[in-house]
Amino acid sequence: MTKLAFERPIIQRINAGLPSKYGMSHRLEPLSHIDGTPIKDLIGEFGSPLFVLSESTIRKTYKEAHRAFSSRYPNVQFAWSYKTNYLNAVCNVFHQEGAWAEVVSGFEYDKAIANGVPGELILFNGPDKSTEDLQKAIRNNSLIHLDHFDELYEIIHLSKEMTERPKVAIRVNMDTGIYPKWDRFGFNYENGEAWDALNRIMANKNLDLMGLHTHIGTYMMSVDAYRIAAGKLADLAIKLERKHGHVLKYIDMGGGFASKNTLRGAYYPGTDTAPSFDDFAEAITSVLMSSDIKPDHLPMLILETGRAMIDDAGYLVGTVIANKRLADGRRATILDAGVNLLFTAFWYEHDVRPVQPVSDQTEDTTLYGPLCMNIDVIRGNVMFPLLKKGDQYVIKRVGAYNNTQWMQFITLRPNVVMLDSKGNPHLIRKREVLETINSQEVMPEHLKQFKL
Amino acid sequence: MPEMVFVALIVGLKQTYCKNTMVKIKKNIAISDSGFVFDPGSGDSYSLNPSGLEIVQMIKLGKDFSAILEAVTEKYEVDSGSFERYYYDFIATLAQLHLTEPDGKD
Ligand SMILES: Cc1ncc(COP(=O)(O)O)c(C=O)c1O
Repeated sequence: MTKLAFERPIIQRINAGLPSKYGMSHRLEPLSHIDGTPIKDLIGEFGSPLFVLSESTIRKTYKEAHRAFSSRYPNVQFAWSYKTNYLNAVCNVFHQEGAWAEVVSGFEYDKAIANGVPGELILFNGPDKSTEDLQKAIRNNSLIHLDHFDELYEIIHLSKEMTERPKVAIRVNMDTGIYPKWDRFGFNYENGEAWDALNRIMANKNLDLMGLHTHIGTYMMSVDAYRIAAGKLADLAIKLERKHGHVLKYIDMGGGFASKNTLRGAYYPGTDTAPSFDDFAEAITSVLMSSDIKPDHLPMLILETGRAMIDDAGYLVGTVIANKRLADGRRATILDAGVNLLFTAFWYEHDVRPVQPVSDQTEDTTLYGPLCMNIDVIRGNVMFPLLKKGDQYVIKRVGAYNNTQWMQFITLRPNVVMLDSKGNPHLIRKREVLETINSQEVMPEHLKQFKL
Repeated sequence: MPEMVFVALIVGLKQTYCKNTMVKIKKNIAISDSGFVFDPGSGDSYSLNPSGLEIVQMIKLGKDFSAILEAVTEKYEVDSGSFERYYYDFIATLAQLHLTEPDGKD
C-alpha cells in the first residue's frame, strides 16, 4: 500500500479582516524552469547557488525598448551601461543587438575596447577619468562626457598636445521635479553653469562639441521628469544653434527607467507601477519632436538604459540550508545566497519562489542569507511556503547591478551561466576558487613561517 | 554555521520536550474538526493544516512523541528524522502561541 504524502504540521494566526498588503492573499507559484530548462538540472550541473541569465529575455527586452523609441523618433541609439552588468557575454548580446558602450571608469573603458567595441562608439561618463584615460579616449575618438570644469580644463590642455580633436559632450544636471535632485554630477542647468560650459567649449577651437548628456536618477517612476529633462536639453540645443550656428549630433537622456522590481517599502508591486518603455519613449520623444529644433537638425537620441533592460533576464537560484524560529515565533529560512551575492536585496523586495511545487500553506517568513551578519536579509516578512533543507528556490529579476556590485565576503562567488535561445546553458563566469583570491595576495618573507 | 545553530535549537527543544514527553494543550482551547482553533483567554484564533490538526488531536488523546511518530510514519510518506524535526518545531510554535501548558504544569 502506498503511503500518503506528508505535509509539515503548521498553525497560523487568523488575522480578522485585514487583507494582506496586496489585497487577497496570493499563492506563490513555483518556478521550475527558465527558458524551458529545469532549474534542478542547472543546479545539478553548475552548483548552488547559481546566477542564470536568459539571452532571449535580454534580446526581447532590448527589441521592445528599441521599438518603443524608434517607432516615435527618427534616430535612436542605445548604449549599454556597463556598470549595470559588465559580464562580457552580457555586453556582447547588447552589442550584437546594436548597442554602443557606456562606461564610467578606465576599467570599464578597457573592457569595452577588449570586447571589440570601436572607440568612437564608446560614451565615457563619470567624474573619475584619469589623464591616461582621457588621452586614450581622445586617441580613440571616443565620446567624452565632461563632468566638471576641472575636466574641461584638462581636456583643453590635452587637446593642445595631441593631434586628435577631443569629441566632447557635457553632462547636465537639473531640477526635474524629483527628490532627491542629482546635482552632484555634471553642470547645472538652472544656475547657468551648463550654458557657461557650452560657451567655453564653443570658444575653444580644438574641441568638437558633439552632444548633451543627462542622467536624472535611477529607478525613476515619473515619466514627467524625463519630459522636463528633454525640454531643458532641447532648450540648450536651440540656444547653441541660435548663438553659434552649432548643430548637435546627439542628445543623451541617460538611464534610470524603473525596472519591474518592487522597491522596499513600496505599497504596490513594481510590476504594476513601473511605466513601460512606451510611456518613457512617448514623454521624451514628444518633447523633442515638438521643440523648436529644426526637423532636419533633430539630434540622435541616445539612451543608456540599465536596470530596466537587464533585470528581468537574471535569476539567482539556490538551495535552502535550514529553517529556524526567531524568538518572536516567526519563521526564518536560511538560503545559500546572501546579500554578498544579491546586493539589490538592500533596495528591492525581490520575488522569491520555490522551484518545486510545495504546499499551499504559507507562513510569515524571513529569508536570510548564510553570512554571519544581521543585515544579511534577502527578504523580510514574506508569506512564504514551507521549504525544507535541500529544497530549491529561485529569485527573479536580479540581472541589474548584482554581477557588478557583488562582494567576495566569507565565501566565493558562484558560477554564472547564460541560457542561449534554445535554453542551453553556457558557463560565462567561472566560480571563484581559493586560488582566485590568493593569487592576488603577496606574503612578506618574514611572515611565511609560523609555529603553533 | 547556521546548520549548527539549527542543530543546537533542535537539541534544545528536545531537552525541553523530551524530559516530559507529554505535551499538553491547554484545557480551555477550543479546536474544531476543521482545524479552527480559538483561545478564549486571548481572543486569538488560529488555523491548523490537516497534519497539524491530526497531531494536535493525538496530543489531546494523551499520546507521546513516540506514539505519534509511529502513527504518522505508518500512514504517511515521511522518514522519522524529518518528522522529528517538524514535530518539535510545531510544538515550539504551539508553546510560543501559549496554546500548551507551560513546562512542568498541567
Ligand atoms: C551615467 C549613467 N548612465 C546610465 C546608467 C544606468 O542607469 P539605470 O540602471 O538606472 O538605467 C547610470 C547608472 O547609475 C549612469 O550613472
